[in-house]
Amino acid sequence: MKVLRLSLILLGCAASAWLLDAQAPAGGAAKGGPAPAVDFSGYWTGNMQEDGAERGAGPELVDYGGIPINEAGRLWALSYDTSRLTSRFHQCDGYVAPYSVRAIGNTLVWEERDPKLRTLIAIHWYSQTFEGHRVFWMDDRPHPSAYAPHSYMGFSTGTFVGNALRVETTHLKQGWFRRNGLPESDQATLTEFFVRHGDHITYTSVVNDPVFLSEPWIRTTDFYRQPTDPGAWLFPCDDSEQIVGRAPDQVPNYLFGAHPYLDEYSKKNQVPLIGALGGPETLYREFESKLASVSDAQARELTRPAPGPSATSAAVDPDPHDGEIHVLPIRNNVYMLVGDGANIVVQTGDEGAFVVDTGAGKLTSKVLAEIRRLSTKPIRYIANTSFHADYTGGNQTLKNAGSDPSVVGTFLTLNAPGVGATATIMAHENVAARMAGSLGNNQPTPPDSWPIDTYVAERHRQFHNGDSIEMFYMPHASTDGDSIVHFRRADIIVAGDIFNTTQYPFLDVANGGSVQGEINALDAILDRTVFEHSGEGGTLVVPGRGYLCDEHEVVEYRDMVAIVRDRVKALIASGASLEQALAAKVTTDYDRRYGANSGSWTTRMFVSAVYQSLKQPPRK
Amino acid sequence: MRLCSIATSAMILLALACVLNAQPPAAGPGGGRGGPGRGGPAAALFDPTGYWVGQITEDWKERIHPAAKGDVGSIPVSAAGRREADTWDPASANSCKAYGVGGILRMPGRLHITWEGNNLKIESDAGAQTRMLSFGTPSGQTGGLQGVSVASWDRLTPALTGFTLGGRGGGGGGSLKIVTTQASPGYLARNGVPYGAKATFTEYYDRQEIPGGPALLVVSVEVTDPDYLNGPYWYSVHFKKQADAAGWNPQPCDAK
Repeated sequence: MKVLRLSLILLGCAASAWLLDAQAPAGGAAKGGPAPAVDFSGYWTGNMQEDGAERGAGPELVDYGGIPINEAGRLWALSYDTSRLTSRFHQCDGYVAPYSVRAIGNTLVWEERDPKLRTLIAIHWYSQTFEGHRVFWMDDRPHPSAYAPHSYMGFSTGTFVGNALRVETTHLKQGWFRRNGLPESDQATLTEFFVRHGDHITYTSVVNDPVFLSEPWIRTTDFYRQPTDPGAWLFPCDDSEQIVGRAPDQVPNYLFGAHPYLDEYSKKNQVPLIGALGGPETLYREFESKLASVSDAQARELTRPAPGPSATSAAVDPDPHDGEIHVLPIRNNVYMLVGDGANIVVQTGDEGAFVVDTGAGKLTSKVLAEIRRLSTKPIRYIANTSFHADYTGGNQTLKNAGSDPSVVGTFLTLNAPGVGATATIMAHENVAARMAGSLGNNQPTPPDSWPIDTYVAERHRQFHNGDSIEMFYMPHASTDGDSIVHFRRADIIVAGDIFNTTQYPFLDVANGGSVQGEINALDAILDRTVFEHSGEGGTLVVPGRGYLCDEHEVVEYRDMVAIVRDRVKALIASGASLEQALAAKVTTDYDRRYGANSGSWTTRMFVSAVYQSLKQPPRK
Repeated sequence: MRLCSIATSAMILLALACVLNAQPPAAGPGGGRGGPGRGGPAAALFDPTGYWVGQITEDWKERIHPAAKGDVGSIPVSAAGRREADTWDPASANSCKAYGVGGILRMPGRLHITWEGNNLKIESDAGAQTRMLSFGTPSGQTGGLQGVSVASWDRLTPALTGFTLGGRGGGGGGSLKIVTTQASPGYLARNGVPYGAKATFTEYYDRQEIPGGPALLVVSVEVTDPDYLNGPYWYSVHFKKQADAAGWNPQPCDAK
């Protein structure tokens, strides 16, 4: 009887479920209970029947119609010389996710499920081109912090909504919207919808890029199912010298208004230039009238910066600003500490902690607490990459909290009292001199904070906790005392003030900095990096401020500084004064990423420093 | 005896579950309940009504500005189709041929979608065209440029076979599926890339909600045409939801 009752209940439930299921939801998107998990597993091929030429053979130069780029995006693209791809640091650039999904080639999709519970953990979307392996996490995990690394594929989470798989992606690297130089910034985010219609997928992508787009860029495309494995999934790339003898600081680019092929596409296809130059207006029917009314001469005005105030950064601030110190494990026993000014790096091990830079000194007690949480051993060494207060503010406290037993009781110290009772601070000699006030016009800092183990040649080295740690001098970069620190075994480079992801490089000309030294220093970092695949991964680079990087971010940053240098150099060569150089707005295409009109390091200060250090290079 | 009752009950449940799931066959996701005859807003899986503005973000050159004569873009036209495209002359062409069912969705402009009883009406301000989508047997449709369209709700349901209770099913949505035939010949692109009278157009409309943004109407279209295509031609377009009729501006066909 009980069984019968149970059966009836179950039957009733099933029937009710069917009836409810048959009800149509009113209103917007499909409603109902939890959306079903649609199976996308299998082999898929992108349908190339839209934008086929652009996605296949490649786009023509200056073909930006239908893309809601802003001024920065347009000018960035117009300065792009495709010869940049011959640089060894761009030869293997991968596709970023917003581009990769629409790229030519096949895709393999599979599900990752918990082996016991069968719950869906992730959906893997693997593209043939560049081995683009995307993972859509389906287990409700949060997106990483703003200081976590970016990648070509980004970090994606998925949910089933109605009949669609919706995927949200953040943490993308800078890359292409189009292979004709149209840029996508590392601030872009992506929302995608995948809908199966039998053996087709209708795919919708919505890209938000606060740096290079005026409004979200929405596109749709289709995939069709393949019954057999198309094979050929690997995409190796090995860079090489393609243009022998080109100086490492030469980045092929066009000056504003000087693109030599500006109207080639436009003329060939009888598209008015105003259309080819793109922008949000070009997406809509109303633009048809403008196509007929704007002359090419008028359109050319869009190829130079518009007058008016400079734009400011639209990038996410990677600093949590919550009064806490956040720890990001990097690799092996090396960690990045975020939250007190410049990033701090800590290597732990039996021989005691090795700390690179000590932050602004406002949260040093918390920094110390985190270091002690990572290691019970004392801090033995502190390396300063710069004398700037953001990098040395915690020197005194951390030094006094540590010890250096390697010098205790040695013949050289002769058992002098106090020897080895604190950590040893190492840096380039000019750091010590500027902190002591013996070089330049800076107020001296407390003697306890000064480096005592200094070097003046190109390299300082220390084997510690099983790793070979090298400091390399970077002359006249941000200052005349900068170093980078390379943990060789962990393969991590700490870049200090030379490189960041938050602002234009701080060229402290008064303290020996220069734009050329800055470029040389960025190239020196690149001389030591090795990517893992498609120009990403491998050697990791900790910026002075901002999120954990690899060589790709350093390359893009180096390119930016070199291009701005070229523009200012050209202005100087034409006899422009500093005010004229400032008025030329030479950073317009980068201002929405790095620009500032207020604060301690503005766009105006940066351009002035570039101008000044080119006019009067520091003496060697 | 008790065991026998349990087994019998279980069998009954299993059989009923199978029956409940034995809906018209579908090729995996897509296809299912809500076929012809289930029209009207009450049966809708989503709300397709309102004003929608098309965004031209793909094939821009061809769509916003007629491509050059003979430029067929990525459309898989046959040799016959190519020959026909080469004869295009905007001066003498039927000015509305690019506004037929095969080309209207790719035209720059806006859609206004409303319910007409149990059926849907899609008006396009580009070319001032109107399409009627009939749920069930079409009535009142006479072919012409927009053909005869049969609509259905393509609900996400499990396939016919197998015991699926407790499987992937749930409160999923679905697509609006429209199959159009009997359209008079027209153009797939504004520069005279043709389709013939035997062409069939299968469209899937999906509504997607962008977090913090407007709703999207995404339409994926398969065109088959034994006269002028080498194989199926798939394209997809999208429209952004508008709050009102802003920009709605019906204009006559323009062959240029």
